[in-house]
Amino acid sequence: MAHVVAPLDQPSNYKDSQARIDRLKQVDILSKSTTLYIGNLSFYTTEEQIYELFTKCASPEDGGGIKRIIMGLDRNTRTPCGFCFVEYYTHAEALACMRYISGSKLDERVIRCDLDLGYKEGRQFGRGKSGGQVRDEHRQDYDPGRGGWGAQAQRMEIERRREAEERYADVQEGPGAVATGGGDWKEAENNVVEVKLKRPRSLDDEGDNMRMGHRTRLDEDFDGERM
Amino acid sequence: MSYGRGGRRRYREDYDDRRREIHETPEQKIKSVIIKFGEVDPVAELPRVEKQIRDHVPLNIPNLSEAFRLSVTEQPYKIPYYAALIRLLHEQPDYSDGTSLGRLLLEDFWKGFQSYLDKLAWRETRLCIQFFAHLTMAKVISPDSMIALLQAFTSVLDEFGVSLGRAKRAAMCAAEGLMFAGPILKFHSTSSVTDMINALQTYNDTMNSPKWLVQSTVSLYCDNPFNEHADELLDSLLNSLKALNDSDFSETSNIIPQPYSDYPPLDPSLSQFNLPSVLVPPEVIELDGLSSNPGEDIQLKKEEWPEYHIHFFDNEISPDPNTPAGYVVRTSLLDLIDIFEVNRKECARLLLEYPKWNLPGTFKPKPGAPVEMEPVPGKDWQLESTILETILGAYLILPEATHKSLYYISLITELCKLSPSTVGPALGKSIRKVYTLLSDGLDVDAARRFADWFAVHMSNFNFQWVWREWLGDLALPVQHPKRTFMRRAIEFEIRLAYHERILKTLPEQMQSPDMYIISEQAPGPDFEYDDPGHPYHAAAQTVLNLFRGRSKAEDVISSLDGVKRELENVDDPGMNVDAAVRFITMQSLLHIGSRSFSHLLNAIERYLPLLRNLASAGMSSTGGSGNYEAKMDILTACASFWKQSRQMISIVFDKLMQYQIVDPTDVVAWVFLQGSGLGDPHEIRAPSSLSAFQWDLLKGALDKANGRVLIAKRKVAALRKEDDDTRARAKATANTMEVDADAKPEESPTVDNPALSTALKAFSTLTQEQKAVLSRTLEGFAAYLAPSASDHHANPATRVVITGEGWNNRADWGRDEWAAWETWGWYRQFCRAYSPYLRNYSNTLSTVSFSRFEGSTDPAAELIRRTWNVATGQDA
Repeated sequence: MAHVVAPLDQPSNYKDSQARIDRLKQVDILSKSTTLYIGNLSFYTTEEQIYELFTKCASPEDGGGIKRIIMGLDRNTRTPCGFCFVEYYTHAEALACMRYISGSKLDERVIRCDLDLGYKEGRQFGRGKSGGQVRDEHRQDYDPGRGGWGAQAQRMEIERRREAEERYADVQEGPGAVATGGGDWKEAENNVVEVKLKRPRSLDDEGDNMRMGHRTRLDEDFDGERM
Repeated sequence: MSYGRGGRRRYREDYDDRRREIHETPEQKIKSVIIKFGEVDPVAELPRVEKQIRDHVPLNIPNLSEAFRLSVTEQPYKIPYYAALIRLLHEQPDYSDGTSLGRLLLEDFWKGFQSYLDKLAWRETRLCIQFFAHLTMAKVISPDSMIALLQAFTSVLDEFGVSLGRAKRAAMCAAEGLMFAGPILKFHSTSSVTDMINALQTYNDTMNSPKWLVQSTVSLYCDNPFNEHADELLDSLLNSLKALNDSDFSETSNIIPQPYSDYPPLDPSLSQFNLPSVLVPPEVIELDGLSSNPGEDIQLKKEEWPEYHIHFFDNEISPDPNTPAGYVVRTSLLDLIDIFEVNRKECARLLLEYPKWNLPGTFKPKPGAPVEMEPVPGKDWQLESTILETILGAYLILPEATHKSLYYISLITELCKLSPSTVGPALGKSIRKVYTLLSDGLDVDAARRFADWFAVHMSNFNFQWVWREWLGDLALPVQHPKRTFMRRAIEFEIRLAYHERILKTLPEQMQSPDMYIISEQAPGPDFEYDDPGHPYHAAAQTVLNLFRGRSKAEDVISSLDGVKRELENVDDPGMNVDAAVRFITMQSLLHIGSRSFSHLLNAIERYLPLLRNLASAGMSSTGGSGNYEAKMDILTACASFWKQSRQMISIVFDKLMQYQIVDPTDVVAWVFLQGSGLGDPHEIRAPSSLSAFQWDLLKGALDKANGRVLIAKRKVAALRKEDDDTRARAKATANTMEVDADAKPEESPTVDNPALSTALKAFSTLTQEQKAVLSRTLEGFAAYLAPSASDHHANPATRVVITGEGWNNRADWGRDEWAAWETWGWYRQFCRAYSPYLRNYSNTLSTVSFSRFEGSTDPAAELIRRTWNVATGQDA
């Protein structure tokens, strides 16, 4: 059955960008694969939560089951960075996940599954510049389940903050420290306009509001359901 | 938006655009015209598609008929319109010999049907028969040949020893053909139609015993199934068919579209198509476990049972499947659920679109949609409620559903995402209805699946449930199925999320630990020797430090003697030093592996020799069958360490079996030794009874043993095939080439492959283990359910709950009664779910386990035996 609709258990355009295997061989491996790549996990999701959901696609009576789970870790901090590999004993179990789990929620996030070529040493670590996943380098949104801003955005924010802090390092106190910008037109006189110095406005004041305004991109909202 | 280099990957959850643009040939184009036909307005599209087919050159009949075949078998909701299309292609003689294009297509279509039948592809066969039935009504197919076709299927019911599954499917083929073509067939030959209906009825009358074992709501005390809340598939089929027959099939036009019904009479020069005669081929029977041909699917054939679908809405809300219209709606939806299992998103969409394929007025119009016609009296059903009832009916079939549980669950999730405002309310109502059934004897396995669905569903929808409305049920006894359900659903929710998250979804009264709904603490390990006041604290620290220092397994083994001496000095009168060493070692190992599943695996793998040493009571570190007491101690230590996280108990047991530290039989023995609700607070534990959690452990062990046999069997089959191939090649080489000393075939045909003999030996060992685990389970149940008078731990209620009087007094039942009732339920599940395996050993197993019941009139013993006999097909 697959003539009328596209089955969900076909390999997608997901791939291991560092795999050094030719395309045909990859297709062959995937057609027997027992390993899944799981993406868009929250950094806080545990292996036991993953086990609980994925064990529902296991077929122990068929000689299957969850063989192991390999949690994706940040290369530098050794903390979960939002992906993992789930390895089963049989290919059919991996396919079942593609059909029934991919696109559903775990720990209140929509996760995705993809057939994988199989775990190789080193693949448990993020490949992004900052140690996490590449996608978290470039992410533009605020995602509380994945450490807030994307790594580049975080770096940019740190940079902006540093610039902001340095920018006013030369600030002075006392009369005349703040320019007036010029007053109303007046007859040429010698009056000096005095302005009281207030606390310089911090960038943080605005930053927080901005964060609140952002919505989590991947976390779909299905609240419409009324029971 | 740009992701820089990462932009080439897509992270959205919608994969629908995976289909690549493919250049279509004209052949593919006309095929897709046929397959996609009707998506907007089938009746209006008919003439256009007819013309496109006629105009298409060159004529390629196999290509066209394949499109029809795919359409009929994969889009059954369009069958009436495909029949109409064939009829339009059969209006006049298109060729000099007087045949029509429609006839040519049908001739080729028949070849496809024949190959479905040869493969015993039942669903495809049945859908083709529906198609033929419409064509009979459209006067394209001759009634005589249609009757003969259907008779081929009813004759299956008279085969000697016909399997239930085969009979059920053949009956559906025949009965649906009769329902759809009845108006013409009965007019043509009343007696043939009546005879077929009688044959179906006669067969169905023999099905009472198996029905009793798989009914959705349990009546332990009465011999006949009662169907207050569920409908059996064949029963529904027969009731509907008989209702149609009573009206001489005048109602057929009110249950299915017949777009061809007002077409002008056919050109009399055109002869009707006669379906060739067929025989339904016999099933391939596997005589012994290893005789199957290599390459064949050697999975054990699942036992087929009557199919009860629960029915919880009133007949005004969802159709009664015992009526013709209701039967059609339900089977059409079931076909969709089955066919589109490969793509749950498409399936959800098609389910919600189903009304457009049935007759107008069958379902209430969508809210806000213009009311185009008056509601049809007796119909006007609610689409979403009907869909949910049908999915849940298929999900809760006993002993198990056709597809994995998660399919039905995620299909419902997709429906909710597609149309939250209409599916949401129907979903809430469905949950409440099934919850109500818990008080009326909903089968324990159905109840367990209900909890599983509930938790996964809530996990997809922010854990929003109005728990408040079940507050009143907290007054029920702790083991009442409703209380058990709440406890279990919450436990499953916590496993998918975390304790704090779920706790805050509950009303305050339910949060109290006295209510036994949610545990006080988050699930976690419990290392009992952590307490410096514990007498074994020092010894445990010694072992723990060895593990923490990553000492070698051999070093830990040799250090354990010192620990043992240390313990002998501890003042603890009840102490068994060997057991204490095992407890301390096991718990310390689990302690270092307690941070995650991976940590557990690493800890086990690093210390396998140590674990083998422990399991053999110090006799060996290389494996072997181990020491029974030592293995019981290991399991007890694990269960005690993880007593606050039952999920981890299951995981640890599974991996201990996987690494062959304990055998499945050990796990079964251990479960029955526990005697009461494992992991539950003491207050709610009833004696000698099984809860769903203990059943999960049993199931884990049984499945492990059965799965191993299957793997071994596959291996033997593969090696045999390899062997055969080698021999064949050797033979061929010998025949075609001159045999000189260098070119001698490596394997002489008389010497067996050593890998094969190893595999055969493994197969025989694992088969023994399989038999042992089944036997131990059966014994355990017999001891729990029909305890001897001297059993001090017996559940006093086990004989009360199986009487009619007992059941009728269930409002007064307490903890022990409900727990006993649940244990009976798990025994039923064991017998029916594992019946294909049990049948293999039924004589030996029953002789051993039931010997003490010989001549007994104990009603419990009789019920145990009766259940067993029905499950193993030995009931008279």
